[in-house]
Amino acid sequence: MKPAPFEYHRPSTVDEVTELLARHGPDAKLLAGGQSLVPAMNFRLAQPAVLIDLERVAGLAELREEGGVLRMGAMTRQRAAERSPAVARGAPLLVETLPFVAHPQIRNRGTVGGSIAHADPAAEIPAVMLALDARFHLRGPGGSRTVGAGEFFTGLFGTALEADELLTEVEIAAPAPGSGWAFGEVSRRHGDYALAGVAATVALDAAGRCSGARIALLSVGEGPVLASGAAAALLGGEPTADAVRAAADAVEREIDPPADIHASAAYRRQLAGVLVRRVLPRAFERARAAAVQ
Amino acid sequence: MIVDGEHVFPGPREVVWALLQDPEVLSKAMPGAAKLALVGDGAYEGSIRVGVGPVTAAEWKLSVTLEDRVAPEHYVMQVDSKGPIGFTRGSATVDLAEADGGGATRMRYHADLQVGGKVAGVGQRLIDQVAKMMTQRGLNALGGELERRLAEGA
Repeated sequence: MKPAPFEYHRPSTVDEVTELLARHGPDAKLLAGGQSLVPAMNFRLAQPAVLIDLERVAGLAELREEGGVLRMGAMTRQRAAERSPAVARGAPLLVETLPFVAHPQIRNRGTVGGSIAHADPAAEIPAVMLALDARFHLRGPGGSRTVGAGEFFTGLFGTALEADELLTEVEIAAPAPGSGWAFGEVSRRHGDYALAGVAATVALDAAGRCSGARIALLSVGEGPVLASGAAAALLGGEPTADAVRAAADAVEREIDPPADIHASAAYRRQLAGVLVRRVLPRAFERARAAAVQ
Repeated sequence: MIVDGEHVFPGPREVVWALLQDPEVLSKAMPGAAKLALVGDGAYEGSIRVGVGPVTAAEWKLSVTLEDRVAPEHYVMQVDSKGPIGFTRGSATVDLAEADGGGATRMRYHADLQVGGKVAGVGQRLIDQVAKMMTQRGLNALGGELERRLAEGA
Protein backbone atom coordinates (compact mmCIF):
# COMPACT_ATOMS: atom_id res chain seq x y z
CA MET A 1 0.00 0.00 0.00
CA LYS A 2 1.43 3.31 -1.05
CA PRO A 3 -0.11 6.77 -0.75
CA ALA A 4 -0.95 8.92 -3.75
CA PRO A 5 1.70 11.58 -4.50
CA PHE A 6 1.65 14.62 -2.22
CA GLU A 7 3.70 17.72 -1.49
CA TYR A 8 5.46 17.54 1.90
CA HIS A 9 6.19 20.44 4.25
CA ARG A 10 7.95 20.33 7.62
CA PRO A 11 7.53 23.76 9.24
CA SER A 12 9.23 24.61 12.53
CA THR A 13 6.89 27.28 13.90
CA VAL A 14 3.13 27.63 14.33
CA ASP A 15 3.21 30.77 12.17
CA GLU A 16 4.73 28.80 9.30
CA VAL A 17 1.93 26.23 9.69
CA THR A 18 -0.80 28.87 9.50
CA GLU A 19 0.92 30.41 6.45
CA LEU A 20 0.97 27.03 4.72
CA LEU A 21 -2.66 26.43 5.67
CA ALA A 22 -3.65 29.86 4.37
CA ARG A 23 -1.95 29.02 1.07
CA HIS A 24 -3.26 25.47 0.61
CA GLY A 25 -6.47 25.47 2.68
CA PRO A 26 -8.66 22.42 2.16
CA ASP A 27 -6.08 20.71 -0.11
CA ALA A 28 -3.74 20.36 2.87
CA LYS A 29 -3.81 17.90 5.75
CA LEU A 30 -1.97 18.32 9.02
CA LEU A 31 0.11 15.29 10.02
CA ALA A 32 0.29 14.80 13.80
CA GLY A 33 1.00 11.24 14.94
CA GLY A 34 -0.25 9.78 11.67
CA GLN A 35 -2.05 6.83 13.25
CA SER A 36 -5.33 7.54 11.41
CA LEU A 37 -4.24 9.77 8.54
CA VAL A 38 -1.36 7.62 7.23
CA PRO A 39 -3.40 4.37 6.99
CA ALA A 40 -6.18 6.35 5.26
CA MET A 41 -3.58 7.72 2.81
CA ASN A 42 -2.10 4.28 2.23
CA PHE A 43 -5.55 2.93 1.42
CA ARG A 44 -5.89 6.00 -0.81
CA LEU A 45 -9.09 6.94 0.97
CA ALA A 46 -7.36 10.19 1.87
CA GLN A 47 -5.47 11.84 -0.98
CA PRO A 48 -4.36 15.22 0.32
CA ALA A 49 -2.38 17.25 -2.22
CA VAL A 50 -0.28 18.77 0.56
CA LEU A 51 0.90 17.27 3.83
CA ILE A 52 2.07 19.58 6.65
CA ASP A 53 4.09 17.64 9.21
CA LEU A 54 3.76 19.05 12.75
CA GLU A 55 6.57 16.86 14.15
CA ARG A 56 9.19 19.66 14.27
CA VAL A 57 6.93 22.55 15.24
CA ALA A 58 8.40 24.11 18.38
CA GLY A 59 6.33 24.22 21.55
CA LEU A 60 3.42 22.06 20.43
CA ALA A 61 4.17 19.17 22.81
CA GLU A 62 4.57 21.10 26.05
CA LEU A 63 2.74 19.95 29.15
CA ARG A 64 2.36 22.27 32.13
CA GLU A 65 0.17 23.08 35.13
CA GLU A 66 -0.80 26.69 35.66
CA GLY A 67 -2.99 27.83 38.53
CA GLY A 68 -5.15 24.70 38.69
CA VAL A 69 -5.29 24.32 34.92
CA LEU A 70 -3.57 21.60 32.92
CA ARG A 71 -2.25 22.82 29.56
CA MET A 72 -1.38 20.13 27.09
CA GLY A 73 0.22 20.91 23.74
CA ALA A 74 -1.72 19.35 20.86
CA MET A 75 1.27 17.20 19.85
CA THR A 76 1.53 15.57 23.30
CA ARG A 77 1.86 11.85 22.61
CA GLN A 78 -0.97 9.80 24.08
CA ARG A 79 1.58 7.59 25.85
CA ALA A 80 3.31 10.64 27.34
CA ALA A 81 -0.01 11.90 28.71
CA GLU A 82 -0.79 8.45 30.10
CA ARG A 83 2.47 8.39 32.11
CA SER A 84 2.60 12.07 33.10
CA PRO A 85 2.19 12.86 36.84
CA ALA A 86 0.83 16.30 35.84
CA VAL A 87 -1.95 14.67 33.79
CA ALA A 88 -2.61 12.20 36.63
CA ARG A 89 -3.24 15.21 38.91
CA GLY A 90 -4.99 17.47 36.42
CA ALA A 91 -7.00 15.02 34.32
CA PRO A 92 -7.12 11.58 35.99
CA LEU A 93 -10.05 10.62 33.75
CA LEU A 94 -7.76 10.89 30.71
CA VAL A 95 -5.14 8.67 32.38
CA GLU A 96 -7.81 6.07 33.22
CA THR A 97 -9.05 6.12 29.61
CA LEU A 98 -5.83 6.11 27.60
CA PRO A 99 -5.08 2.37 28.08
CA PHE A 100 -8.30 1.74 26.10
CA VAL A 101 -7.02 3.78 23.12
CA ALA A 102 -5.72 1.25 20.58
CA HIS A 103 -2.36 -0.27 21.66
CA PRO A 104 0.82 1.10 23.31
CA GLN A 105 2.68 1.14 19.99
CA ILE A 106 -0.04 3.34 18.49
CA ARG A 107 -0.17 5.58 21.58
CA ASN A 108 3.60 6.08 21.33
CA ARG A 109 3.01 7.90 18.04
CA GLY A 110 -0.61 9.05 18.29
CA THR A 111 -1.19 12.47 19.79
CA VAL A 112 -3.90 13.86 22.05
CA GLY A 113 -4.55 16.78 19.69
CA GLY A 114 -4.55 14.56 16.61
CA SER A 115 -7.33 12.41 18.04
CA ILE A 116 -9.35 15.51 18.97
CA ALA A 117 -8.97 17.15 15.54
CA HIS A 118 -9.73 13.88 13.73
CA ALA A 119 -13.00 13.58 15.75
CA ASP A 120 -13.71 9.94 15.01
CA PRO A 121 -17.08 9.06 16.57
CA ALA A 122 -15.54 5.88 18.03
CA ALA A 123 -12.51 7.60 19.56
CA GLU A 124 -12.16 7.76 23.34
CA ILE A 125 -10.26 11.05 23.69
CA PRO A 126 -12.97 13.34 22.20
CA ALA A 127 -15.57 11.85 24.59
CA VAL A 128 -13.20 12.33 27.54
CA MET A 129 -12.64 15.96 26.51
CA LEU A 130 -16.40 16.48 26.40
CA ALA A 131 -16.82 14.94 29.88
CA LEU A 132 -13.98 17.13 31.19
CA ASP A 133 -15.43 20.23 29.50
CA ALA A 134 -11.97 20.90 28.05
CA ARG A 135 -11.17 24.06 26.13
CA PHE A 136 -9.23 24.02 22.87
CA HIS A 137 -6.91 26.73 21.60
CA LEU A 138 -7.09 27.15 17.83
CA ARG A 139 -4.66 29.24 15.79
CA GLY A 140 -5.41 30.67 12.39
CA PRO A 141 -3.87 33.39 10.23
CA GLY A 142 -5.97 35.99 12.07
CA GLY A 143 -4.88 34.94 15.58
CA SER A 144 -6.04 32.60 18.33
CA ARG A 145 -9.43 31.65 19.64
CA THR A 146 -10.63 29.28 22.33
CA VAL A 147 -13.50 26.86 21.80
CA GLY A 148 -15.12 24.63 24.43
CA ALA A 149 -15.38 20.90 23.72
CA GLY A 150 -19.18 21.22 23.66
CA GLU A 151 -19.02 23.56 20.65
CA PHE A 152 -15.95 22.00 19.03
CA PHE A 153 -17.40 18.66 17.91
CA THR A 154 -19.93 19.08 15.11
CA GLY A 155 -21.19 15.85 13.58
CA LEU A 156 -19.39 13.07 11.74
CA PHE A 157 -15.64 13.91 11.77
CA GLY A 158 -16.77 17.52 12.03
CA THR A 159 -15.04 20.12 14.20
CA ALA A 160 -15.05 23.88 14.67
CA LEU A 161 -11.60 24.02 13.00
CA GLU A 162 -11.57 26.12 9.85
CA ALA A 163 -9.48 24.94 6.87
CA ASP A 164 -6.76 27.47 7.79
CA GLU A 165 -6.65 26.71 11.54
CA LEU A 166 -4.78 24.25 13.73
CA LEU A 167 -5.34 23.00 17.25
CA THR A 168 -2.43 24.12 19.42
CA GLU A 169 -3.37 23.42 23.03
CA VAL A 170 -5.86 21.64 25.25
CA GLU A 171 -6.83 23.27 28.53
CA ILE A 172 -8.38 21.21 31.34
CA ALA A 173 -9.44 22.55 34.75
CA ALA A 174 -8.16 20.42 37.65
CA PRO A 175 -10.82 18.31 39.41
CA ALA A 176 -12.55 20.33 42.13
CA PRO A 177 -12.86 18.92 45.68
CA GLY A 178 -15.78 16.51 45.83
CA SER A 179 -15.54 15.50 42.20
CA GLY A 180 -15.17 12.04 40.71
CA TRP A 181 -14.68 10.45 37.33
CA ALA A 182 -14.77 7.09 35.58
CA PHE A 183 -14.52 5.54 32.12
CA GLY A 184 -15.81 2.29 30.70
CA GLU A 185 -16.22 0.73 27.28
CA VAL A 186 -17.01 -2.58 25.63
CA SER A 187 -15.12 -3.70 22.55
CA ARG A 188 -14.85 -7.07 20.84
CA ARG A 189 -11.12 -7.23 21.53
CA HIS A 190 -9.01 -4.90 23.64
CA GLY A 191 -7.78 -2.06 21.41
CA ASP A 192 -10.60 -2.40 18.85
CA TYR A 193 -13.02 0.43 18.24
CA ALA A 194 -15.49 0.24 21.11
CA LEU A 195 -19.07 -0.84 20.44
CA ALA A 196 -19.99 1.80 23.02
CA GLY A 197 -18.15 3.73 25.72
CA VAL A 198 -18.92 6.17 28.52
CA ALA A 199 -16.75 8.85 30.13
CA ALA A 200 -18.22 10.63 33.14
CA THR A 201 -17.30 13.35 35.61
CA VAL A 202 -19.52 14.05 38.62
CA ALA A 203 -19.44 16.36 41.62
CA LEU A 204 -21.06 16.11 45.07
CA ASP A 205 -21.89 19.05 47.35
CA ALA A 206 -21.32 19.09 51.13
CA ALA A 207 -24.68 17.39 51.72
CA GLY A 208 -23.78 14.54 49.36
CA ARG A 209 -26.12 15.65 46.58
CA CYS A 210 -25.05 15.62 42.96
CA SER A 211 -24.01 19.15 42.01
CA GLY A 212 -22.52 18.40 38.62
CA ALA A 213 -22.46 15.63 36.03
CA ARG A 214 -21.10 15.38 32.50
CA ILE A 215 -21.69 12.05 30.81
CA ALA A 216 -20.15 11.67 27.35
CA LEU A 217 -20.56 8.66 25.08
CA LEU A 218 -18.58 7.33 22.15
CA SER A 219 -19.53 5.08 19.24
CA VAL A 220 -23.24 5.83 19.63
CA GLY A 221 -23.63 8.88 17.38
CA GLU A 222 -22.09 11.09 14.71
CA GLY A 223 -19.47 12.26 17.19
CA PRO A 224 -18.95 12.22 20.95
CA VAL A 225 -22.39 12.64 22.53
CA LEU A 226 -23.04 14.59 25.74
CA ALA A 227 -26.00 12.98 27.52
CA SER A 228 -27.69 16.04 28.98
CA GLY A 229 -30.90 14.18 29.90
CA ALA A 230 -28.91 11.74 32.01
CA ALA A 231 -27.11 14.58 33.78
CA ALA A 232 -30.44 16.27 34.50
CA ALA A 233 -31.69 13.03 36.08
CA LEU A 234 -28.82 13.17 38.58
CA LEU A 235 -28.54 16.88 39.42
CA GLY A 236 -29.78 17.98 42.83
CA GLY A 237 -30.43 14.48 44.14
CA GLU A 238 -28.46 11.90 46.04
CA PRO A 239 -26.64 9.47 43.75
CA THR A 240 -28.70 6.45 44.75
CA ALA A 241 -29.00 3.26 42.70
CA ASP A 242 -32.39 4.53 41.51
CA ALA A 243 -30.89 7.84 40.36
CA VAL A 244 -28.17 5.98 38.44
CA ARG A 245 -30.79 3.76 36.86
CA ALA A 246 -32.83 6.83 35.85
CA ALA A 247 -29.70 8.34 34.27
CA ALA A 248 -29.02 5.11 32.36
CA ASP A 249 -32.63 5.03 31.13
CA ALA A 250 -32.31 8.65 30.03
CA VAL A 251 -29.16 7.80 28.05
CA GLU A 252 -30.94 4.96 26.27
CA ARG A 253 -33.73 7.36 25.32
CA GLU A 254 -31.57 10.23 24.12
CA ILE A 255 -29.07 8.44 21.85
CA ASP A 256 -29.54 7.32 18.24
CA PRO A 257 -26.76 4.75 17.76
CA PRO A 258 -25.63 3.34 14.42
CA ALA A 259 -25.77 -0.29 13.34
CA ASP A 260 -22.95 -2.19 11.64
CA ILE A 261 -21.75 -5.78 11.26
CA HIS A 262 -20.48 -5.77 14.86
CA ALA A 263 -23.57 -4.56 16.70
CA SER A 264 -27.15 -3.54 15.99
CA ALA A 265 -28.47 -0.15 17.04
CA ALA A 266 -30.64 -1.78 19.73
CA TYR A 267 -27.65 -3.63 21.19
CA ARG A 268 -25.55 -0.46 21.28
CA ARG A 269 -28.38 1.40 22.99
CA GLN A 270 -28.68 -1.23 25.70
CA LEU A 271 -24.92 -1.41 26.08
CA ALA A 272 -24.73 2.36 26.60
CA GLY A 273 -27.25 2.05 29.44
CA VAL A 274 -25.34 -0.84 31.03
CA LEU A 275 -22.07 1.10 30.82
CA VAL A 276 -23.66 4.15 32.47
CA ARG A 277 -24.83 1.91 35.34
CA ARG A 278 -21.28 0.57 35.72
CA VAL A 279 -19.41 3.84 35.34
CA LEU A 280 -21.50 6.24 37.46
CA PRO A 281 -21.23 4.37 40.81
CA ARG A 282 -17.43 4.34 40.41
CA ALA A 283 -17.41 8.06 39.65
CA PHE A 284 -19.59 8.85 42.68
CA GLU A 285 -17.45 6.62 44.90
CA ARG A 286 -14.40 8.68 43.94
CA ALA A 287 -16.33 11.91 44.51
CA ARG A 288 -17.21 10.76 48.05
CA ALA A 289 -13.61 9.83 48.76
CA ALA A 290 -12.43 13.21 47.45
CA ALA A 291 -14.97 15.03 49.66
CA VAL A 292 -13.84 13.19 52.80
CA GLN A 293 -10.16 14.17 52.32
CA MET B 1 -27.49 -1.87 4.71
CA ILE B 2 -31.03 -0.83 5.56
CA VAL B 3 -31.98 2.83 5.67
CA ASP B 4 -35.43 3.17 7.10
CA GLY B 5 -37.39 6.14 8.27
CA GLU B 6 -40.18 8.65 8.10
CA HIS B 7 -40.24 12.33 7.32
CA VAL B 8 -43.03 14.90 7.28
CA PHE B 9 -42.94 17.58 4.59
CA PRO B 10 -44.95 20.74 5.28
CA GLY B 11 -46.82 20.75 1.97
CA PRO B 12 -49.52 18.92 -0.01
CA ARG B 13 -48.76 15.52 -1.51
CA GLU B 14 -49.00 16.58 -5.20
CA VAL B 15 -46.36 19.27 -4.68
CA VAL B 16 -44.06 16.87 -2.83
CA TRP B 17 -44.51 14.27 -5.57
CA ALA B 18 -43.56 16.76 -8.29
CA LEU B 19 -40.56 17.82 -6.26
CA LEU B 20 -39.30 14.25 -5.98
CA GLN B 21 -39.39 13.79 -9.78
CA ASP B 22 -37.50 16.97 -10.60
CA PRO B 23 -33.83 16.25 -11.42
CA GLU B 24 -32.77 19.77 -10.48
CA VAL B 25 -34.33 19.45 -7.06
CA LEU B 26 -32.95 15.96 -6.56
CA SER B 27 -29.43 17.10 -7.36
CA LYS B 28 -29.76 19.81 -4.69
CA ALA B 29 -30.78 17.15 -2.17
CA MET B 30 -27.67 15.09 -2.87
CA PRO B 31 -24.30 15.76 -1.31
CA GLY B 32 -21.60 17.93 -2.81
CA ALA B 33 -22.31 19.54 -6.21
CA ALA B 34 -24.38 16.73 -7.66
CA LYS B 35 -25.26 16.76 -11.33
CA LEU B 36 -28.32 14.85 -12.42
CA ALA B 37 -30.12 14.78 -15.78
CA LEU B 38 -33.30 13.12 -16.95
CA VAL B 39 -32.29 10.56 -19.60
CA GLY B 40 -35.59 8.73 -20.09
CA ASP B 41 -38.97 8.18 -18.47
CA GLY B 42 -38.10 8.09 -14.75
CA ALA B 43 -34.42 7.49 -15.48
CA TYR B 44 -31.72 9.85 -14.27
CA GLU B 45 -27.97 9.86 -14.70
CA GLY B 46 -25.26 12.01 -13.23
CA SER B 47 -22.54 12.27 -10.67
CA ILE B 48 -22.07 13.26 -7.05
CA ARG B 49 -18.99 14.25 -5.05
CA VAL B 50 -18.78 12.55 -1.69
CA GLY B 51 -16.12 12.81 0.99
CA VAL B 52 -16.43 12.26 4.72
CA GLY B 53 -13.84 13.17 7.33
CA PRO B 54 -10.50 11.68 6.34
CA VAL B 55 -11.83 10.43 3.02
CA THR B 56 -10.97 12.87 0.24
CA ALA B 57 -14.04 13.87 -1.78
CA ALA B 58 -14.24 11.91 -5.01
CA GLU B 59 -16.67 11.73 -7.89
CA TRP B 60 -19.19 8.88 -7.98
CA LYS B 61 -21.16 8.08 -11.12
CA LEU B 62 -24.81 7.70 -10.34
CA SER B 63 -27.81 6.26 -12.12
CA VAL B 64 -31.30 6.36 -10.64
CA THR B 65 -34.43 4.76 -12.09
CA LEU B 66 -37.92 5.29 -10.71
CA GLU B 67 -40.15 2.22 -11.05
CA ASP B 68 -43.66 1.11 -10.03
CA ARG B 69 -44.76 4.72 -10.00
CA VAL B 70 -48.26 5.33 -8.63
CA ALA B 71 -48.65 9.11 -8.57
CA PRO B 72 -48.74 10.74 -6.11
CA GLU B 73 -48.23 8.02 -3.50
CA HIS B 74 -45.65 5.37 -4.28
CA TYR B 75 -42.48 4.59 -6.22
CA VAL B 76 -39.43 2.38 -6.05
CA MET B 77 -36.06 3.97 -6.73
CA GLN B 78 -33.30 1.79 -8.17
CA VAL B 79 -29.89 3.23 -7.39
CA ASP B 80 -26.57 2.27 -8.92
CA SER B 81 -23.44 4.23 -8.16
CA LYS B 82 -19.76 3.67 -8.66
CA GLY B 83 -16.78 5.62 -7.35
CA PRO B 84 -13.02 5.26 -7.14
CA ILE B 85 -13.22 3.43 -3.81
CA GLY B 86 -16.35 1.32 -4.13
CA PHE B 87 -19.92 1.00 -5.25
CA THR B 88 -23.48 1.17 -3.93
CA ARG B 89 -26.49 -0.43 -5.47
CA GLY B 90 -29.97 -1.32 -4.34
CA SER B 91 -33.47 0.00 -4.16
CA ALA B 92 -35.53 2.33 -2.03
CA THR B 93 -39.28 2.17 -1.60
CA VAL B 94 -40.96 5.51 -1.02
CA ASP B 95 -44.56 5.95 0.13
CA LEU B 96 -46.27 9.30 0.47
CA ALA B 97 -49.39 9.69 2.60
CA GLU B 98 -51.48 12.76 3.29
CA ALA B 99 -51.08 14.10 6.80
CA ASP B 100 -52.55 16.94 8.76
CA GLY B 101 -55.75 16.99 6.66
CA GLY B 102 -53.83 17.23 3.36
CA GLY B 103 -51.68 20.19 4.36
CA ALA B 104 -48.65 18.01 4.98
CA THR B 105 -47.16 14.86 3.53
CA ARG B 106 -45.77 11.92 5.45
CA MET B 107 -42.99 10.13 3.58
CA ARG B 108 -41.99 6.60 4.55
CA TYR B 109 -38.79 5.32 3.03
CA HIS B 110 -37.13 1.94 3.20
CA ALA B 111 -33.89 1.38 1.33
CA ASP B 112 -31.92 -1.82 1.04
CA LEU B 113 -28.48 -1.00 -0.32
CA GLN B 114 -25.38 -3.05 -0.95
CA VAL B 115 -22.14 -1.26 -0.38
CA GLY B 116 -19.02 -2.87 -1.78
CA GLY B 117 -15.41 -2.32 -2.65
CA LYS B 118 -12.73 -0.69 -0.54
CA VAL B 119 -15.19 1.63 1.18
CA ALA B 120 -17.08 -1.36 2.58
CA GLY B 121 -13.90 -3.11 3.70
CA VAL B 122 -12.24 -0.18 5.42
CA GLY B 123 -15.19 2.02 6.28
CA GLN B 124 -17.73 -0.61 7.39
CA ARG B 125 -18.25 0.87 10.85
CA LEU B 126 -19.02 4.30 9.35
CA ILE B 127 -21.37 3.41 6.49
CA ASP B 128 -24.50 3.56 8.63
CA GLN B 129 -23.56 6.97 10.05
CA VAL B 130 -22.76 8.36 6.60
CA ALA B 131 -26.06 7.06 5.19
CA LYS B 132 -27.97 8.60 8.10
CA MET B 133 -26.21 11.92 7.68
CA MET B 134 -26.75 12.03 3.91
CA THR B 135 -30.42 11.07 4.27
CA GLN B 136 -31.02 13.76 6.87
CA ARG B 137 -29.26 16.44 4.83
CA GLY B 138 -31.15 15.40 1.70
CA LEU B 139 -34.54 15.51 3.43
CA ASN B 140 -33.74 18.91 4.94
CA ALA B 141 -32.73 20.23 1.50
CA LEU B 142 -35.96 18.87 -0.02
CA GLY B 143 -37.95 20.48 2.79
CA GLY B 144 -36.26 23.81 2.14
CA GLU B 145 -36.98 23.57 -1.58
CA LEU B 146 -40.62 22.69 -0.84
CA GLU B 147 -41.05 25.75 1.36
CA ARG B 148 -39.50 27.95 -1.37
CA ARG B 149 -41.93 26.57 -3.95
CA LEU B 150 -44.95 26.97 -1.72
CA ALA B 151 -43.91 30.55 -0.92
CA GLU B 152 -43.52 31.32 -4.62
CA GLY B 153 -46.90 29.74 -5.42
CA ALA B 154 -48.67 31.70 -2.72
